[in-house]
Amino acid sequence: MDLLLDFVIVGVSIGIVYGLVALGISLIFSGLDIVHFAHGELYMIGSFLGIAVIAFTGVPYFWALIGAMIITGALGVVIERVFYRRLTRGGGGYTVAGMGMIICGFGMSVALQNVAYLLWGAAPHPYPVTFGMPIFLGNIALPKSYLYILVCALVLMTVLHTFLTRTRLGLAVRAVAYNKDTSYLMGVNVPVMISLIFGVACAMAAAAGVLIGPINYVQIEMGYLMLLKAFAAAVVGGFGSLPGALLGGIVVGLFETLCAGYLIASYKDIYAFLLLIVVLMVRPTGLLGILVKVKA
Amino acid sequence: MNRYPPKKTGNGVRNALLGFTAASLMAVGSAASAGVIEVGVSLRMKTETGEKYGQMVVDEFEAINAAGGVNGHTIEVKLLNDECKSDIGVANATKFAYQDNVHLFIGSSCSSVSLPIVDVLHKARVPMLIPHSTNYKITLKGSPWVFRVPISSRFSAAAAAKYTAENIGTKIAYIWASDAASQADAQKFYEYIETYHGEPPVYAEQFQEGELDLRAHLVKIKALKPEALMISAQSQDFARGLVQSYEVGIPPSVKRIGGSAASNRPAPILSGDAIKGVFFHAAFSYADPDPKVQEFVKMTADRYGVANPDHDFSQAWDSVHVARTAFERANLALTDDSLAADRAAIRDALGTVTGYVTLGGGVVDFCADPTPECRDGNKTPVLIEYTKGGEDYELRVIGKTTFDADFGLAGMEEEAMKLRESLDN
Repeated sequence: MDLLLDFVIVGVSIGIVYGLVALGISLIFSGLDIVHFAHGELYMIGSFLGIAVIAFTGVPYFWALIGAMIITGALGVVIERVFYRRLTRGGGGYTVAGMGMIICGFGMSVALQNVAYLLWGAAPHPYPVTFGMPIFLGNIALPKSYLYILVCALVLMTVLHTFLTRTRLGLAVRAVAYNKDTSYLMGVNVPVMISLIFGVACAMAAAAGVLIGPINYVQIEMGYLMLLKAFAAAVVGGFGSLPGALLGGIVVGLFETLCAGYLIASYKDIYAFLLLIVVLMVRPTGLLGILVKVKA
Repeated sequence: MNRYPPKKTGNGVRNALLGFTAASLMAVGSAASAGVIEVGVSLRMKTETGEKYGQMVVDEFEAINAAGGVNGHTIEVKLLNDECKSDIGVANATKFAYQDNVHLFIGSSCSSVSLPIVDVLHKARVPMLIPHSTNYKITLKGSPWVFRVPISSRFSAAAAAKYTAENIGTKIAYIWASDAASQADAQKFYEYIETYHGEPPVYAEQFQEGELDLRAHLVKIKALKPEALMISAQSQDFARGLVQSYEVGIPPSVKRIGGSAASNRPAPILSGDAIKGVFFHAAFSYADPDPKVQEFVKMTADRYGVANPDHDFSQAWDSVHVARTAFERANLALTDDSLAADRAAIRDALGTVTGYVTLGGGVVDFCADPTPECRDGNKTPVLIEYTKGGEDYELRVIGKTTFDADFGLAGMEEEAMKLRESLDN
């Protein structure tokens, strides 16, 4: 029983991080109708920015998290305005940007990785934060960093949910996600809303990067595998669904950890994608049943 | 009729002419015999540390040139980064062998890279001097062109295993990364414990290089309550595993053990305090009070800003000086037509290098036979413990031990035969 609880704690902690990245992917998908392949790199850059904020300002970890989210969010807005916006205009609008946006996402991924390389080098960087020894509940170890991840993720989800459901701006974002043309006719500034969506999604990726930092360390190649796992989480939860993204993350994290724990740990990464294939075969709309949109 | 005594003036002119002619001939002769020894170097230079020891190799060869070269020859070094990736390493070695026509190849840092390069250079008939790679299979392949300065895993892992069994216990859990050096370190460690103490591993699993989350392994290990945990991986993966082992609640009383890569500078920097008490095997410790070591440490601090160099630094330095010894002994023509003969001469000269005392204190003894006994030069691993982590990490030397040249080779005949067959195909 202790072993099972240990696995559950580990699975949920990593699952929440998958969920936060998946949340951004789903948000961009619902708002811009694209799968953003550079999202892993924004997660990586957010994590580096957390270290930079601590190094330059000496603020505590929590404020580094907020700082990294703000800067990465702003970076996301710049990327959308400067690069993606031109492409969608050239392609005839957001809903028909199609393959060009996907390829641009891949290109942006490589470009951001190289920018990070120039800024921070290829060497891994440890996070300048220590949480000390875990809290022991009998034989079960509960690391303080996991509690931090859990609390921060819940707070972020609550804030995002409140923003989307209780504010006029959130209503406008949801309207744009639902139908851009109708939103435009209703007086919503669609381009601004899309920039906002992009910024919020990138801020979420940064939050995930800063939260995983103390468990791991930060290096320029860290985004690739996280992106794949987050895609799996987004699909399992239901692509385009925000609660589904977080749920999908937790399910993927739990599934891969339990399989690794009770089957063969060496194949841990395979289990997440095995789950993805099974979900696509059995329930293509994901756990929360959101209809997968077919894009141009 | 000869005139006697000869006229002085005429003799002066003639002597001057003779002198000029002789000097000219000597100069021409000198130009014909002095040449350039081409050296190709491929190392793991993904990090600042790697870039620095790569630069040190270049600087050391340049210092030899500045001091007059070797037998009048100068050494030209071409340095490439293989990023610890076998495809890049093989491309570098191929370029050096067939395009740059190097006389000697020095590399690589990672065993996963050196292993396939052995085949490339064996076919190209280029001598290969290995500065860092430790996997025992590299010399077991039996190529006459391969020489290894660092300590083979058959010696170093056995030394660490012996110390563990005698001082900590034999109930050991192992996880290792998929790279060749880490695999060999773990394999030779648990083989020793099984062979000499009859204790099979409590847990033994491999993980992928770069795996972000090792906690599934570690939670299982925690439940098995081992006396020691060996994490054999490159420094980044090792650091990650080490930190996560504390996160999942494996108590500090379980001794953590590293493989040879635990000595690399990033390991203590990334691990922080988690590395305190971890021991590992290496070829060198900067904490060694030997004046020669301290002079080297001062040099790396002054020139490269590295006050606590690891064994990648020391072995890169040793490799340069082993190469220089071979160049001094080789009879080199260094013309376009003599490339094959010069390469063979350097190979043969490397085979005569004996008694070279490394910075770590081990002695490199090579000989002509293409066997591990002859080509695993250094047989003296050093056991080292971290007493402090972080940027200013600190070490203490536990001890050194020297093995017989044939140690660990018993029962490996079949594996050696298979490796030799693959080399000849």
